[in-house]
Amino acid sequence: MTAALSTHQLAKDYGDRPALLPLDLEVPAGQHVALVGHNGSGKTTLLQMAAGLLDPSDGTAAIAGHPSGSKGARAALSWLSDTPTFYDDLSLWEHLEYVARLHGVAGWGTKAETLLERLHLTARRDDIPTTFSRGLRQKAAIALALVRPFEVLLVDEPFVGLDQAGKEALLALLDEAAASGATLLVATHELAFVHRVQRLLALRDGELVYDGPPADTDVHTLVLPA
Amino acid sequence: MSEHEQGADERADERADERADDAAAAGDTPGPDESAETALRRLRRTRQLHRLGNIEWFEAAYRVYILAIFGGGGILWLSSGVQDATVSAATAADVSAHAPAILGLFATFAVLAGLRGGAQGGPIALEGADVVHVMLSPVDRRSALLRPAVQRVRGAVFSGAVAGAIAGQFAGRRLPGSLLAWAGGGVLFGGSIGLLWAGSALLAHTLRLPRWAATATGVVLFVWQSVAAARELPGPGNSVGDLGLWGWRQHPTDLITTAVALVAVIVGLVQLRRISLEALARRAALVAQLRFAVTMQDLRTVILLRRQLNQEHPRRRPWVRLGAPQRTGFRVLMWRRGMHGILRFPLTRIVRIVALAAGIGVLQAATVRGTTPALLGSALLGFVLGLELMEPLAQEVDQPDYTDSFPVPRGELMYRHLIAPMTLLLPLAVVAGAAAVLTLGADSRAIVPAAILALPTLLGSICGGIVSIVRDAPDPLSSVNQQTFIPPEMAGISTTVRLLWPFVVSTLGTCTVLLPRQALRNGDSLAGAATRGAIGSLLITALVCYWVKVRDEVRKKIRSFMEEGRAQTSAQRQQRSSA
Repeated sequence: MTAALSTHQLAKDYGDRPALLPLDLEVPAGQHVALVGHNGSGKTTLLQMAAGLLDPSDGTAAIAGHPSGSKGARAALSWLSDTPTFYDDLSLWEHLEYVARLHGVAGWGTKAETLLERLHLTARRDDIPTTFSRGLRQKAAIALALVRPFEVLLVDEPFVGLDQAGKEALLALLDEAAASGATLLVATHELAFVHRVQRLLALRDGELVYDGPPADTDVHTLVLPA
Repeated sequence: MSEHEQGADERADERADERADDAAAAGDTPGPDESAETALRRLRRTRQLHRLGNIEWFEAAYRVYILAIFGGGGILWLSSGVQDATVSAATAADVSAHAPAILGLFATFAVLAGLRGGAQGGPIALEGADVVHVMLSPVDRRSALLRPAVQRVRGAVFSGAVAGAIAGQFAGRRLPGSLLAWAGGGVLFGGSIGLLWAGSALLAHTLRLPRWAATATGVVLFVWQSVAAARELPGPGNSVGDLGLWGWRQHPTDLITTAVALVAVIVGLVQLRRISLEALARRAALVAQLRFAVTMQDLRTVILLRRQLNQEHPRRRPWVRLGAPQRTGFRVLMWRRGMHGILRFPLTRIVRIVALAAGIGVLQAATVRGTTPALLGSALLGFVLGLELMEPLAQEVDQPDYTDSFPVPRGELMYRHLIAPMTLLLPLAVVAGAAAVLTLGADSRAIVPAAILALPTLLGSICGGIVSIVRDAPDPLSSVNQQTFIPPEMAGISTTVRLLWPFVVSTLGTCTVLLPRQALRNGDSLAGAATRGAIGSLLITALVCYWVKVRDEVRKKIRSFMEEGRAQTSAQRQQRSSA
């Protein structure tokens, strides 16, 4: 069976500073994975290389068997960034239409309505998301990431800026995505979230220092810098 | 629901309906099996309709009108005001023989800049949202990138053509041939330069040329062309250089390099799928900030962002480590702080600084030879040199919280920041002087005036940069922008004066070269005229340094004087009303 996410000797350095040391990783389809580590440990770098947003210095990454960044990989992968970006001339609803249609979603309107309702954004659907507060922008980004079909969902710090209702809504949506068979890789500093996943990956200074069930380790020590 | 909220909802519904109507009117109703590419085209068209709908057409037309009057008309008026004589037959022959190779330097420089820019992620810049939403969707990347890439090429060719036309009509005033023909030749030459830049950049990016390889290729071409210009050899840019003389003579073979550039652009466009998303993402954020900074005329931010865009960072290890200071004290501290910054200048910046100094020397020599507009070019280069050199001062201005926390008057602090960068002008003066003497044909009569004038002229030329940096420092006496209180009728004039003033200062600092030129024409002593010119430039430098030192104090005094006056007036009014 093809792995949902696989990397082979994937590495990244910025000049003489290594951001991620060569990493071999395989995440089977349907697995729910958390990625933890201190600031600057390489979490975002790993996710961005998997998404095709960063060019690896060495090695390869593949999404659902397709080289990362290729058309097949892009169709299979949904990327939820910690710094949401929006067009400043489109309303939230128009954003949803744009993204959904680019991914060929039929009947996107109903799905979009449901997402907005669950994220408490219905009243803001005709507003421009670039004018939103940090938390609302994050919610809008979540809606955009989930309105389209995906096999793999890569999420970077999704809880930043969210209120309690937003966090609960996001957790429920992630659970539903996992239940529908999608593979989830979530980079987070919210250690409470770690116990909801099947597998924990921990990075320290660009090196994978833990790969296993979250119950078998003390997560707090894993996220301390060396 | 409140009335306000209800109204807002109704307006939102109306907007949504209007947009749906727009889309329908444009034939944008999605089909059931619409491909991602078709969806992208349709949705982009809808966005374009939104943008066009938001344009205030009357205001846009007024802006074009103002630009045409003040831009185009102003250039023609300035050009006609230059009273330089038509060149002699001997000089014309000289221009005919050497100009193609010299103009070819622009072509090879464009290739160097394009290759480096492409290797660093240029030339395309997308919106940040396009990088995430479009480039990460399963749409064909070439289709998605074709339009922004073509727009970029078009912009480069257009800018080159406009600059070429302006330069061409200047040349036509001194050289044989009609003004229109020279302007046309300039359009062809400038457009080709733009095409070369865009083609090199697209090729370097899509071929994923490593930065060192891009720089090495560009430098080899540029050095080759420089040798060709100096030794009258065939150079890679000569045929483009010949295009610059099409106002005078035309050879179809001159179009060969332009055709090669066009092929490079086409190959680049075909290979667009190979564009790096990492570079697009990095540039998206920076270019958006850069555009905003340009709109706000925030020169310092523009410079900082340009450096980030070119991935130009200070060196982690300085060129030389300063030892422990022999003496302590404020002056020594400020000197060391300045040198710490300067010794971390990256190589590219040092090369740029040396090239600017050499360029000032060449343009000053061109002024002496009779091309007065070259003076403006040397002032512009001097202004940029000032901005490059005065980095420690600019850093101080960027960090007002630090500056205000130091137990030293801000004027004194800024003044002391000028010293270390100014000492760097000593070796640069040698470069500028040598470039001037070489441009004047290694004439032995030029050596003494060049030696006298080089350092003072460089000092005078960078004064505009100093004024620009210090002027943008936050006002320590008031947090309110004084421009806010200027009536709209005056705001335009005030902004223009503010924009031009540093450049005027640099021009004043460099125009002293006109004295030896006049002495040369009158047969007077060149050394005497150069000394008088040097004193003039030094006076301007001293004035600017003094202004930096006392600016805050003077402003404080003026403000307190005004406030005293206001208090007296109001007291008199009260007395009168009570009487």
